[in-house]
Amino acid sequence: MKPPPLVQSSVRIFDLSLGQMLWSRRSVFLGVLLGGPVLLALALRIVSTLYEAGFRINGVRAAGASIFGMMIWLLYLRFIVPILGVFYGTALIADEVDDKTITYLFTRPIPRRAVLFGKFLAYLACTVLLVLPSVMLVFFLVVPTGGGSIGAAFPSLVGDFGMLIVGLAAYGAVFAFVGTGVKRPLIVGLVFSFGWEPTVLLLPGYLKRLTVAYYLQALVKHEMPQDSAVSVLMQVFREVPSVAASLVCLAAIVAGTLWLSGRAVENREYVLEQ
Amino acid sequence: MSVSVPPGITGLLGPNGAGKSTFMKVITGQLKPSKGTITVLGEPIWNNPSLYFRIGFCPEQDSFYERMTGLEWVTALVRLNGLSDGDATEMAHRALKAVELTDAANKKIGAYSKGMRQRVKMAQALAHDPHLLILDEPLSGMDPIARRKTIRMVKDWARAGKSIIVSSHILHEIESMTSNILLINQGRILAEGNVHQIRDLIDEHPHTVYIRAEQTRALARAFLAQDDVLSLRFEDEAVVVQTGRPDAFYARLTDLAASGELGAIHEVTSPDDNLQAVFKYLVKS
Repeated sequence: MKPPPLVQSSVRIFDLSLGQMLWSRRSVFLGVLLGGPVLLALALRIVSTLYEAGFRINGVRAAGASIFGMMIWLLYLRFIVPILGVFYGTALIADEVDDKTITYLFTRPIPRRAVLFGKFLAYLACTVLLVLPSVMLVFFLVVPTGGGSIGAAFPSLVGDFGMLIVGLAAYGAVFAFVGTGVKRPLIVGLVFSFGWEPTVLLLPGYLKRLTVAYYLQALVKHEMPQDSAVSVLMQVFREVPSVAASLVCLAAIVAGTLWLSGRAVENREYVLEQ
Repeated sequence: MSVSVPPGITGLLGPNGAGKSTFMKVITGQLKPSKGTITVLGEPIWNNPSLYFRIGFCPEQDSFYERMTGLEWVTALVRLNGLSDGDATEMAHRALKAVELTDAANKKIGAYSKGMRQRVKMAQALAHDPHLLILDEPLSGMDPIARRKTIRMVKDWARAGKSIIVSSHILHEIESMTSNILLINQGRILAEGNVHQIRDLIDEHPHTVYIRAEQTRALARAFLAQDDVLSLRFEDEAVVVQTGRPDAFYARLTDLAASGELGAIHEVTSPDDNLQAVFKYLVKS
């Protein structure tokens, strides 16, 4: 008999893993973390309601859509998405090894890499389900401030969701690879996200191409307030490739790191602690 | 080493740290041999998923997706064999029935007793009707009644034509299932053959049994009345007994558990000091 196809096996691992992932302590903790931007948005809304002058950046009244765009980039893409990627991505296989349940999956007639791919899909679904309500709430709280229109800004919300999903996929795949390849993957992942990436993004030269954030920032489309420190900073960030080139690079990062991770899982022996 | 496993039950016997679990992991393709090749059912096992259609493995570790019910868990694992949802559910039901867990099929595994957890592990191993069943310490931690049931089930599966490898560090457990054993120590097969040949040696060494029970003092009084009990001591909610005749002792213990007259017996385990002593003797000679 032949083992089921890779896609079918991956989907079945996805079915098995999604519930476990959604109701894990990790999801509860990260769900709480995702409440942070909502609280911040609520505070902005209250300030905007109480003070007619609204929320200002360097004396310029910021439109709600612009503030939302900044939050998407600075809070979600640069902080929360890498955090989610690190905590889930590095643990895709490690959780099963720590829980000693990997044996049940590795003694079934499926390729070992299907376990990784299925769990990666479950990670993606789980993190999207966590991020979605948080972003929606922030959108509805922030966009109306400064007289913004929810209807007009809604198409950009869809784009932002797409961008977040791409970010989650890219960081998740990179950290899945880190998780299968190195000892102490969590530390390596955190250093990559909050040490390496912010540093090289501010440096001139080609090093920034060795980050995920470099390609993600090309997808950020929000108009930012002008003549301010933030806009100057954004101009630095705006040294970016085209959207098409970024999407191709991000797809290559996802495919490449997942393929390497799959290979590592196929060839590695997992010794469970007695 | 080359080991042939005939139809029926083969016991893999050795003290803790002898290499039983490593041997099990190698023949189930979880570990790669550092030298040579491993073939199971005529095919290399490492990175050969199709072989798992013919092998069922019940690992030693007590680990599960605790939030799933027994039925959900077994079904989800059988689905990985490429079966449709309906077929997987039907096979899971059948396997749970075979291990007498039908009534608890829809209970969360987290709420299962130790014996039920061992049995649901066996259900996932046999659900897809494999030719070769590999059971790593399947009786570990079970109460006497669950042990008796499990031994009976394993024997029934062997009678139905399956080849079964069972590991244990307790001769009595292996002996109650089969007389065909592999003796393993320090990663080597020391002997292969009939259990009775080493039986006399084993009997010369006192056998230690740890019993966690509701009424340890009443049990201790009952044990002391027997002349095969050499010593006993109390540990938390358990009584630890040394006996010179394990067969007779286990038989009485099972009867006591079944009658319930001295309260519930939750867990029976055996440290392997006695077997270790026998192995030391065998290696020296």
